[in-house]
Amino acid sequence: MRRFLAPVLALSLLAGGAARAEDTLSPLQFQSQGPLGTIDKAAAQRGYQVFESVCAGCHAANQVHYRDLEALGLTPDQAAGEAAAAGGTLDSPIKGAAPMDMGGAAPPDLSSIVAERHGTKYIYDFLTGFAPAPGGVTLLPGHAYNTAFPGGQTAMPPALHDGAVTYADGTKASAQQQAADVAEFLTWTADPNLDARHQIGFRAIIFFGFLMIIAIASKRKVWRASV
Amino acid sequence: MTTQAKEPWAATRLPYLGALCATFCQKTRAPGASYFEVLPFLISITAAFLTLSGIVLAVYYNPWHAFDSVQFIDRNVNNGWLIHAYHATGTTMIFGLTYIYLFRAILTRSYRAPGEWVWMLSVKLLAVLLLTGWLGYVLTGGAAGYWSLFNASNVALSLGGLPGAVGVWFFGGPAGGGTLARLEVFHVFLAASLLLVVWLIHASRKTIAAPAPARAVAFYPYYLAQYFAALAVFAFIFVVLAFYAPHLGTSHFNRIPAESLAVPVGAGVPWYLAPAAGLIGAFSSTGLSIFAVIAAAAVLYALPWLDRSGANGAKGKLYGFFIWVLALDVLALGLTVHGGCPYAATLAGVFTAWFFFHFLVITPLVTAMEAE
Repeated sequence: MRRFLAPVLALSLLAGGAARAEDTLSPLQFQSQGPLGTIDKAAAQRGYQVFESVCAGCHAANQVHYRDLEALGLTPDQAAGEAAAAGGTLDSPIKGAAPMDMGGAAPPDLSSIVAERHGTKYIYDFLTGFAPAPGGVTLLPGHAYNTAFPGGQTAMPPALHDGAVTYADGTKASAQQQAADVAEFLTWTADPNLDARHQIGFRAIIFFGFLMIIAIASKRKVWRASV
Repeated sequence: MTTQAKEPWAATRLPYLGALCATFCQKTRAPGASYFEVLPFLISITAAFLTLSGIVLAVYYNPWHAFDSVQFIDRNVNNGWLIHAYHATGTTMIFGLTYIYLFRAILTRSYRAPGEWVWMLSVKLLAVLLLTGWLGYVLTGGAAGYWSLFNASNVALSLGGLPGAVGVWFFGGPAGGGTLARLEVFHVFLAASLLLVVWLIHASRKTIAAPAPARAVAFYPYYLAQYFAALAVFAFIFVVLAFYAPHLGTSHFNRIPAESLAVPVGAGVPWYLAPAAGLIGAFSSTGLSIFAVIAAAAVLYALPWLDRSGANGAKGKLYGFFIWVLALDVLALGLTVHGGCPYAATLAGVFTAWFFFHFLVITPLVTAMEAE
C-alpha cells in the first residue's frame, strides 16, 4: 500500500512551500558538508521521497521516526500522513519491507549508514557506481559490479533510474540527482543534530576565542605588574 | 592587602577559610613557571567534566540494549547528542593531556628524587585511564567494541588459575548484555578511582614542592591568571573538537551495531588506545602479550631507578634526543594498529623492542655516561 501512496504523498510535500527546482550536480555539492554546513532541507525532502519509494522496498531506517521528519520542514499533518501511508503513527520507526535475502546478504538498516561507511560522498558514489563488470571480473551469483564498493561486488542491484520518481519542486529526477538527494537525506538521518551542532559550535568558538584572548592578555598584564 | 586584613576575622570564625586563603595568598611560588605546570589541573578539570557528563549518560544508558540506548541518547534525549559529544571529546582531551604530561615528566626528568612517587602515580593514572577508556569504548555496543570485548573476555576465560578466576569474575562470561552491565559498574568505579589518583598526584606534588624562593609570588592573582589563560585555551580546543569532530580518532566500525556473526575488517581501536593495542598486537601468543603489557607498566614504574644520573646529575642532550625518539616510537607503535600495512605485526614488534631497549639499556647507560 505504502509503495503506491508514498510518491503521491511526497508529491504534495513541497507543493505548499516556495519550492523551486534545484541542481546540486553541476558541480556536485552537498550543503551538509564542511564546518558550517547545514542540511539542505529541500534536497533531504526529495531524498526522503526517493527513500520511501525506492530504498524502503528493502531497507529500514529504524532509528528514525516519522515525527522526526518535522525537522526537515514537514508539518505535523504531513508527517502524520507519511506515517499513515506506511501503516504507522508519528512515533513509528521508518521500517522497510520485510527483510529479504539478497544472495546471502541482508539489506542493512540505513539510519546511520553515512557514519558507518565513508560519508555522504561515498553514498553518492556507491549509488551511481554501478557499471558493467570489466573483463576478467567474475561476479558472484546475484551480485552487481560497483566501482565504489570495496571489492567491487555488491549484493545490491542498481536501484535508481532516471524519472523513477517525480519531484514536486520541479527538480529533474535523474538517477544522479536522486542519488545526491538520498545521500543528503541519509546524512540527516545519521546525524539529525548536524545543524544545531554546527551553529552552537560556531558561537562557542567565537565566545571561547575572545575569552582566550582576554585571558592571555590579562595574564600578561598581571605578571607585568609583578616585575 | 585587603585579604590580609580579613584573614584573622575569617580564621577565627572558620579556620578552613584561613587555610584556604593561606594557600592562595601566601607568597610560596617561584615566578615564571611553565604553562605545562597547569596540566594536572587541566586533567582534574577534565576528569570532573567526564564524571558529570558520564552521570547524565549513565542515566539513559541500558547495557542490555547498549547500542540502541546510545542511539536513543543521540537522537531522542534532549541535548543527549551534546552530552555524548562532551563525553567523547573529554576522553580525547584527558588522554591527550595525560600523554603530554607523562612525556614532559620524562623529558624534564621530574621523576627523579624526590618526584618518584608523583611519577608512579602518574603511570598509575595512565593505566587506570587506559582501562576506563577501553571499558567506555566497549560500552558503546558498536561492532568494534564488541569484538574487542569478545577477544579480551575469551582470553580472560581461557586463562587458568587465579588470573582465569579473576577474568571470569570481571567479565562474567563472553561478550553479552550481562557482561556490559558488569563493565558499566567497573567503568564507573574506575572513573571514581581515577579522581582519587588525580587527587593523590596533587597532594604529592604539593608535598615535594620546592621551598619558596626569595622572590616568591602568591597564587592569587599571578598563577590564577595563568591557570585561567590555560583553561581558556583548553576550552577553545575542546569546543572545536566537541562540535566539529566529536568522535575524533574513533573507528566508524563502532557506529555499526554489534553483530555476533559479522567481524569488522581491520582494527577499530580509538586513537588513545592505539599504542597499547600495538603493544598487544606485536605478539602472536596471548601469554606474551599480557606479559608485555605488565612489563611495559613495570619499566615505566622503574624509570626513576633506571635513570642513573642521580637526583642532581646533569641532563645531557643525547638522552634528550633519545626521549624524542621514544615519543616517535610510541606514536609509530600506535600507527601500526591502523594502517593496512602487510608488515604491521613485524613493525609493531620492532617498535615494542625499541620501547624496552630504550628503558632497559639506553636509559641506564646514557644517563650514567652523561652524569659524569
